[in-house]
Amino acid sequence: MAAGAVAGALGVVLSRNPIASVLALLLCFFALATIYLVAGFQLLAAAQILVYAGAVLVLFLFVIMLLNLGHMGPLPKLDREMFVHRRSALAIGVATAIFAASAIAITALPEPKPVSAVPEHGFDTPVSLAQSLFGTYALPFEGTSLLLLATAVAVVVLAKRTRKGAA
Amino acid sequence: MTVPSSHLLLLAAALFAIGIGGFLLRRNVIVVLMSIELMLAAVNVNLVAFGAFHNNDAGRVIGQVFALFVLTIAAAEVGVGLAIVLLIYRNMHSADLDDVDSLKG
Repeated sequence: MAAGAVAGALGVVLSRNPIASVLALLLCFFALATIYLVAGFQLLAAAQILVYAGAVLVLFLFVIMLLNLGHMGPLPKLDREMFVHRRSALAIGVATAIFAASAIAITALPEPKPVSAVPEHGFDTPVSLAQSLFGTYALPFEGTSLLLLATAVAVVVLAKRTRKGAA
Repeated sequence: MTVPSSHLLLLAAALFAIGIGGFLLRRNVIVVLMSIELMLAAVNVNLVAFGAFHNNDAGRVIGQVFALFVLTIAAAEVGVGLAIVLLIYRNMHSADLDDVDSLKG
């Protein structure tokens, strides 16, 4: 599963065609959802499939189809030389440095408590989830609803075409 | 089946690094946005891994609640990001980030 997630991630970054990138990201999200399921977080796995794979990726596909970005033309010159250009060496170096630093920090951690055996109902009982989401974190919960409202308004305002001579 | 936490953390670090590499390397706007989503998903895995450290149900659920919030915010940001992509395409007729340089000094 982890290999599937990493393979999907590499597919996103290295694909020529944006539609192939979207499909690779879908594979990555499905792999992550099964990892969440195995680790006992059922609501998060379901929400990941519903929201990420179901809504966000579909939105990406809509925009790619709308703007017709997926046509397989000849590769622009810079993309073919993507890995030999000087600035891309910097990008790859930054990415590897971040991964190396995190890997060193992770292996230097004191031996972590292994994730305990997952009970039958998973780790998120409705009681504890409700206590957390609607009790302790009720303010961020309402805040995200406000954020979604603001996002919807912003998207409509941004994408609106201005017609000349419109009322 | 038990999942060692260090494996999850390594996976999160790998996904985040790949996301950063894609964000800096690619010129296509859609792929850059997808790399941002990848980074956010990596952070979700991190939160889940640390949330599973707790001893009781109430503590473990916190990791999941935080990951749910990150998920929501990522979805909202993708919406606004794609609206901006539409505007860029409408004005420049190309989905190439190298062409968006009117603020360049």
